[in-house]
Amino acid sequence: MILLDILSKSFWAGIAAIGFAILFNVPRRTIFSIWGLGALGGLIKFSAMYFEIGIVLASFMGATVIGIISIKMAHLRKSPPLVFSIPSVIPMVPGFFAYKMMLGLIALTSIENTDAYLQTLIETVNNGAKMMFILISLGIGVAIPMLLTRKESIKKSKFNKTKKVVA
Amino acid sequence: MKHLLLYSLTNRTELLKMKRLKEDSQLVGNVLLEIGSMLMSSGASTHRTRLTMERIAKGLGYGIELLITQRALMLTITEKDQQHFFSRLKRISPHGVNFRIVSGISHLSWNVREENWSVAQITEELHRLKSLPHYPRLVVLGLVGLAGAAFCNIFGGGAIEMTVAFVATVAGLFIRQEAMKKKFNPYLCVFFAAFTATLIAGLAEHFQIGKEPDKALATSVLFLVPGIPLINSVTDLMDGNIQNGMVRAMNGLMIAFSIAMGLFAAKMILNF
Repeated sequence: MILLDILSKSFWAGIAAIGFAILFNVPRRTIFSIWGLGALGGLIKFSAMYFEIGIVLASFMGATVIGIISIKMAHLRKSPPLVFSIPSVIPMVPGFFAYKMMLGLIALTSIENTDAYLQTLIETVNNGAKMMFILISLGIGVAIPMLLTRKESIKKSKFNKTKKVVA
Repeated sequence: MKHLLLYSLTNRTELLKMKRLKEDSQLVGNVLLEIGSMLMSSGASTHRTRLTMERIAKGLGYGIELLITQRALMLTITEKDQQHFFSRLKRISPHGVNFRIVSGISHLSWNVREENWSVAQITEELHRLKSLPHYPRLVVLGLVGLAGAAFCNIFGGGAIEMTVAFVATVAGLFIRQEAMKKKFNPYLCVFFAAFTATLIAGLAEHFQIGKEPDKALATSVLFLVPGIPLINSVTDLMDGNIQNGMVRAMNGLMIAFSIAMGLFAAKMILNF
């Protein structure tokens, strides 16, 4: 039952990724891979959260896997990695926490009671911190594989070029 | 006399050659600036823009120095063994994200490097890329609406809430597209869209449609989330392009703030 729940959520995460992909006008040949990547990222994130790993680390794991596979996909589908990684990571962007934080900030302008003020302040800071760290972990998760392989791919291409010249 | 004639003749050919070189570097410089501004406005990170421009310049046999900011590009192009250089500043016009252009320019840069494309071929390809179609409007509206419904599902909404989120998202995106067409301030476009989406989802909450109408309310604005500015901001900061990273982060926060203001306005009207 839980497995089914996680799977259905991942399926919908993939659909959300496609929505953003269309909004960003990606080439048609990449759409199906973006759905797969979005669903895979969701699957990893939701399973990690099921095993009581915090949402920040879970998002980081999902984003890293997406980043690594999007480089493979870039070779297969002949488009740069960011075309795959950004739309499929966006369903994990913490919009809900950002929404809560903004509502909290707005509420803070009008609360008079000290206790209620403190309570709202605590919740707002908590939501804001979660949002910020999830965002950073998403950005780094997507960027780290790119940073790691960028050097490699440049070297590789140079290597290829010298080989071609020799041949 | 004969010597003098020969001298002036060689001098003339030298001059002509120099003039040609100068024109060449101007041509190449303008093409490179065009490529850079297209990349920056369609959502590539600073490092990718720099890498692509350098790759193309190298393929054509020029060296370049670059200054990339969010709204302008500065380029100095020099030939390998010549004294000539050409400098120009170009404004980057914000067009909205377009990954088809990013992908196409990536191909183009490899073609220049491996198949020795000429400048004329590059210009032709750039024209082709600019004229590539977007997805039809109905497809965009439908699929982004589905994405809104998907977010609602992820946050635990049922079928009715998902339908509400779908309708609210489609209406919000439609308003945003119309506002963009009328050339409103981009943050104002986001405000209008968030306002519309929240108003529709809020009306559903008002009339108690569905079990947990607040979930539809929270997820109906998620299609506006500034994913690209925020993710690119972290990428830029990681690459050491601190300035561009900060600018992008600030832009993302402004968009988030506009969403919040739209939400706030709609909620005030509904609670009145």
